[in-house]
Amino acid sequence: MTKKELFEEIKNNLIEMEEEIVEELCKKSLEMGIPAKETIQEGLIAGMEVVGQLYEEEEYFLPEVLICSDAMNIGIDVLKPHLEGDVSADKIRAVIGVVEGDTHDIGKNLVKIMLEAGGIEVHDLGRDVVLDEFVNKAKEVDAHFIIMSTLMTTTMEGMKVVIEKLKAEGMRDSVKVAIGGGPISQRFATEIGADLYTKDANEAVRKIKEIHEAA
Amino acid sequence: MVIKKDILTSKERVMAFLQGKPIDRVPCMPIVTSNASYLIGKTINEFQLDPKVMADSYIAAYERYKYDLSYLFTNTSYVAEAMGQELVYYDDEPACTHNPIIQSREDLHKIKVADKNDGKFPILFEALDILNEKVGEEVITAVCFSGPLSTAATLRGTQNFIKEMYNDPELCMDLLKMTTESCKNFMKECVEHNALPIILEPISSGSILSPKLYKKFSSPFTQELVDLAHEMNSLIALHICGKTHKIIDLMADTKADILSIDICDLSVAREKVAGKAAILGNITPADELLFGTREDIMGACKRVLEEMEGYAGGFVLSSGCEIPKKVPFENIDAMMDAARSYGAYDFKSDIK
Repeated sequence: MTKKELFEEIKNNLIEMEEEIVEELCKKSLEMGIPAKETIQEGLIAGMEVVGQLYEEEEYFLPEVLICSDAMNIGIDVLKPHLEGDVSADKIRAVIGVVEGDTHDIGKNLVKIMLEAGGIEVHDLGRDVVLDEFVNKAKEVDAHFIIMSTLMTTTMEGMKVVIEKLKAEGMRDSVKVAIGGGPISQRFATEIGADLYTKDANEAVRKIKEIHEAA
Repeated sequence: MVIKKDILTSKERVMAFLQGKPIDRVPCMPIVTSNASYLIGKTINEFQLDPKVMADSYIAAYERYKYDLSYLFTNTSYVAEAMGQELVYYDDEPACTHNPIIQSREDLHKIKVADKNDGKFPILFEALDILNEKVGEEVITAVCFSGPLSTAATLRGTQNFIKEMYNDPELCMDLLKMTTESCKNFMKECVEHNALPIILEPISSGSILSPKLYKKFSSPFTQELVDLAHEMNSLIALHICGKTHKIIDLMADTKADILSIDICDLSVAREKVAGKAAILGNITPADELLFGTREDIMGACKRVLEEMEGYAGGFVLSSGCEIPKKVPFENIDAMMDAARSYGAYDFKSDIK
């Protein structure tokens, strides 16, 4: 099997949710002496990109995306110890979390999966996140983006508070804010001065890259 | 624009609507739930735990809006609670599940099929008794409860549950059998109390599941509840949150009498349901209703009414989902006013 064929196999098996085969193939890539970084990029991430497209086209839904992502992570676990050098130097860095008062985190997890598959470095604060934490973490990792999610209308206002806090800290110009979740709309994003609202996870990755390149 | 006075009572209107007889205006059922407690100065937690507060809240809401359905609902986890799931209670928020009880197949013995008197079910029955006594002649009452799939997902944790649709479908099915029986036991008692059952399936949403998985893991169990309701000579409604444009035909196949929809193009719904069920929908709760002006809201209602004009299965004006607690009461008034103006029909009654 050539390197190219192996990448194709990894990609296709990831898309087909074959976690065990993906794991075997990643082990095989190491035996073949292929650099781990290449396998991640050309096999695993290339596969997740297709998964993202299938999700956006409503061919794949949440369960399929979650299982493909598990397959990707199993592959990454195999390859990670063999990564050479600092691979995170010029990555887009994002802090993500579900705002305080809300514990629904499936949407956030989905966005995180897509962001990571898109090569973005994600710092996940989890759910029910104290608002100050978004700002503190962004400062700590020198984040380009803060991404907030909520499914509840009662916690939406927290997003506005985070934007105010960023302003107060003098960080608003360096950190872009993206928001999403069930009740969130473009109307709300505009009203609170967020930089980005998208309806789904895959679109979020695309737009975040666009905004980052334009900045 | 003239806001016409109602001629029929809510109950007369809904009964006529369901029998295809002439009515004075479009039925309007905004999904007003626990925030009705604010009308009588009570919290959401008092509402969900005290049947008298619950009943009084709905009576106050009915008196204000004269809407066409008292929509009893507390939280999405109460069927799971009756099966053994522990919930977290807040002062002024609906209770919810933090730690799903089923961490693996070995935990199945920790839950049981709920009986009618388990968990917080009796609170709802008591509230129904009060409502039946005080306003039962005027307005129909419904009880909305999380259906088999959503309850199973609550017990197992949604993310795990939907992955197991591929990785351990047997566990999904084992849970679904138990949740279906629990829903049946609860629903039977609701019907005995003259309430219209509304199956709520947030996790069956087309925003989460493919039509294929919906057909395998959700609709057969919904169907069992629909069949039971029909055996008991009751109508039954099915509400699915989020997107439904790819499953609306499958929802109609369950033979539920009323389909309550959130994010679905009404022209698609109209074509695919094709008169097989009444459609209830779908003013966006967190957009127009939360932030819109009176004009925005009435405009949105007008568009929806125009789109559904002459629909053979019948149309009920409603919110797409539960109305958030921060929605000003005036905005719900605006929706009712839209029904009484844009949705008013020329009406000559033989009832009065």
